[in-house]
Amino acid sequence: MKNKLLRYLIRRFFLYLIIFLISLTAFFFFLNLVPGDPVTRYVQELEARYGLATPVSEEIIKEYKEAFGLDKNLFARYTSYLKRLVLNFDFGPSFVAFPTPAFQLILDAFPWSIGLLGVAVIVSWTLGILLGTILGWKRESKGASFALVLGLILSQVPTYLLALILVMVFSFVLGIFPMGGAYSPLIEKGFNLRYIIDLLYHAFLPAMSLILVYTFGTMISQRALVINILGEDYIKLAEAKGLKSNRLISRYILRNTLLPQTTGLALSLGFIVNGFFLIEWIFNYPGIGRLFMTAIRQMDYNVLMGITVNTMFWVLTANFIIELLYPLIDPRIRR
Amino acid sequence: MRIFKSSPKFTVGVIIISILIVIALLEPTINNHRLGGHSSTEIGLYETSLPPSKEHPFGTDAYGRDVFSLILTGLKYSLLIGFIAGGLATLIAVVLATTAGYKGGWLDAFITTVSNAILIIPSWPILAIIVLFVRKVDLFFLSLILAFFSWAGSSRQIKPQIASLKERPYVELARVTAFSDIEIMFKEILPNFLPYIFVGFSYAVTGTMMAETALRLVGLGPADIPSLGQILNWALYAGALAQGHYFLVLTPIVILILLFVSINLINVGLDEVYNPRLKQITGV
Amino acid sequence: MDTILEIQDLKVYFRTIFGDAKSLDGASLRVYEREVLGIAGESGCGKSTLVEGALKLVKPPGYIHSGKVLYNGRNLLELDDEEFRKIRWKELSYIPQGSMNSLNPVIKIEEQMIDGIISHIDISYPDAKEIALEALSDVGLPSDVAQMFPHELSGGMRQRVCIAMSICLRPKIIFADEPVTALDVVMQKLNLQTIGELKERFGVTVVMVAHDMAWHAEVADRIAIMYAGKIVEIGTTSDIFGKPLHPYTKGLLDAVPSLERRFSKSIPGIAPSPLSWPSGCRFHPRCSYKMGVCEEIDPPLIEIEKDHFVACHIYGGR
Repeated sequence: MKNKLLRYLIRRFFLYLIIFLISLTAFFFFLNLVPGDPVTRYVQELEARYGLATPVSEEIIKEYKEAFGLDKNLFARYTSYLKRLVLNFDFGPSFVAFPTPAFQLILDAFPWSIGLLGVAVIVSWTLGILLGTILGWKRESKGASFALVLGLILSQVPTYLLALILVMVFSFVLGIFPMGGAYSPLIEKGFNLRYIIDLLYHAFLPAMSLILVYTFGTMISQRALVINILGEDYIKLAEAKGLKSNRLISRYILRNTLLPQTTGLALSLGFIVNGFFLIEWIFNYPGIGRLFMTAIRQMDYNVLMGITVNTMFWVLTANFIIELLYPLIDPRIRR
Repeated sequence: MRIFKSSPKFTVGVIIISILIVIALLEPTINNHRLGGHSSTEIGLYETSLPPSKEHPFGTDAYGRDVFSLILTGLKYSLLIGFIAGGLATLIAVVLATTAGYKGGWLDAFITTVSNAILIIPSWPILAIIVLFVRKVDLFFLSLILAFFSWAGSSRQIKPQIASLKERPYVELARVTAFSDIEIMFKEILPNFLPYIFVGFSYAVTGTMMAETALRLVGLGPADIPSLGQILNWALYAGALAQGHYFLVLTPIVILILLFVSINLINVGLDEVYNPRLKQITGV
Repeated sequence: MDTILEIQDLKVYFRTIFGDAKSLDGASLRVYEREVLGIAGESGCGKSTLVEGALKLVKPPGYIHSGKVLYNGRNLLELDDEEFRKIRWKELSYIPQGSMNSLNPVIKIEEQMIDGIISHIDISYPDAKEIALEALSDVGLPSDVAQMFPHELSGGMRQRVCIAMSICLRPKIIFADEPVTALDVVMQKLNLQTIGELKERFGVTVVMVAHDMAWHAEVADRIAIMYAGKIVEIGTTSDIFGKPLHPYTKGLLDAVPSLERRFSKSIPGIAPSPLSWPSGCRFHPRCSYKMGVCEEIDPPLIEIEKDHFVACHIYGGR
């Protein structure tokens, strides 16, 4: 039985690998098939912004294209990109912060993003499940309808819009929280308490943007799951057995919601990351979201590609890891 | 019609979105009247940064534009793009879901895998890069790429229903009478799907509107068809927050939230009505 | 014999958009100690509802309208949830219909059994496990079943697990709701036998709900016949099969295939709807012995001979 499981997991691994490669390829080719290339676009931007009377000479453009390998044909570019990527983790030099490799920039920004995102997602998911279970169990109570309506509304607000509202109200109007950044400019970094508190202080609003929306979203789905489960036969028998409520709720209801909720989490990750880019931008948080925005403004092709590939990779990996957990959660999948 | 009676959520959702759609439809008339033929995005029509007054209910922005008219135009375009892109996405989703569900087998598995992959992978950075590097992004192209990334979500709503309908007797009957596969799919199966297609459509609309707003917020996208997201972007870049012009920022956000929430209410309401288990247990 | 449980005029209704469906509309009966009492009737007559009502397992949109369930001198329906919970399983246990889905899919069999045990008696986990394993062997299941998950067992085995669970705490009464309906014929015989033996081996009272009269013939000491939400006849098994009084009972028995008759007769007409029961005696539209009074007055359940009750105007009544 163990063998079958192993083979199944290996198959899934290859599936993810293929999806990653195909997405990467599709993305690469799509980008290069649309009219316009980075250098020409960059030049156009410059011309538009600075109103250059004389067009940039063809030679300079050609030189830059060569430097960035844009003159070779599509397939050659693709293979060289792939080779560099896999062998050296090399995304190429950053267009703008030349010659710092794009990889370095991304590496510096990544921990900030993961820290904020990771904590926010875990908190939301857990809190949402707890609240949703209570809501489903005690749906007759007065607070329940109110919580439900509140949840229905809040869960549909895009995280970045909520971020704007929060920053507007709490930073600009009320001045309680800082407007941006991850830490105060003059603070001494390191493992001291002041720094940590400062970090938390700065991370609070960005985290809240995500937590408020996602907690309520999870709460609503959990409530529906719990209500569904309450109608199942095994709950009837569990009640007939006179199990104490705590046991009933944790082992008979919660455990049966774990699988759908985990799947839900995996599927939502891409969606959460989408909003996260914008949240970082709004709060000027030094993660890959902000890096991406800067790169957009400066049309830094390599950084943009690098971030996209990186994000794709991590989201797919997270999904795969979560899939690995399935047999642990639901014994029916172990076969 | 019983939907309206049995689900207050659905009713509220429909009311809100209908009001918004009506306002958007009236936008040309209202703006013509208020601006005398000028476009609401025209710079320098009025004095800059005026506070709210009778003439300018929301004041003017840093470019001298009347905020009220601007927001109406934004609403119009947000809805327009949302519906067009959403419609495209739904079309793709329906065609693919019907084909996959009806044919089954490896085609089904393939389409499901593709749609799951699109769902899982974060689409915003990819969209951003595409919009950034394509020289001319017009309404059609924008809708097309928005639809490309949205159809997967829509398809998830539609697929399971199609799979179940395949087994229904009248389908068997049609098969026996030698209608071609395509004919069966479109004449017999589709018409019964309308409620589910509608749900798929509303998911697609929300999805595309959210993606579009996310793009516009950072300034990407055709500036000549300003949606509410674009307006927000202009406001932020002109320093509305720092200068305390909260109206300029708050109003587009509130309208966007109303749009998303109302469509979602419609979805939830429909789900409650068509999902009997939930109803029975909650005693609704 | 002593009465261990008495149900008095129990009514369980279901709220619908058309009004209340009166699935159980005034059922009264006594359960004697150490007997196997069968409850028989067509689908929809309210027999499952009777058990669910007595055990307070009724879920919305159903609700207990009125009635009493007397046990140990107390009306169970008046107990609050926690008091009732304490009596559950330890004194009144339950074997559900459709055991296919009655086991929690994500935890092991032994854990589910132990859950039931330690919710009522304060013993250690290993001791509870002992009890569980013993119960499993009592019903003839191998002990490695304990480590398995429900989906790894066949339907018949799952049913036996439910039977095993119900005897763990040596309850006073076991309510079994269609315990063998979903099984194949061989498993049916096997499980019925096990249920029948419960009385002998553990001194427990069994109330078994089943629509198939043949099963009652196998294991029941007394049988209560239900129709349209009410009890229409109660008697010992030999009385019911030998001297059936109520026309419906006769109809039920005629429908059972036998070696002597060539054809089985079905009862004419269709079962009425709980949303609008017929007036007077609810069986009158389908009864071949109908009299004028049957359309107007609902006959009460009266004792015609020793321990043989019937609700029918043929045998006199008020």
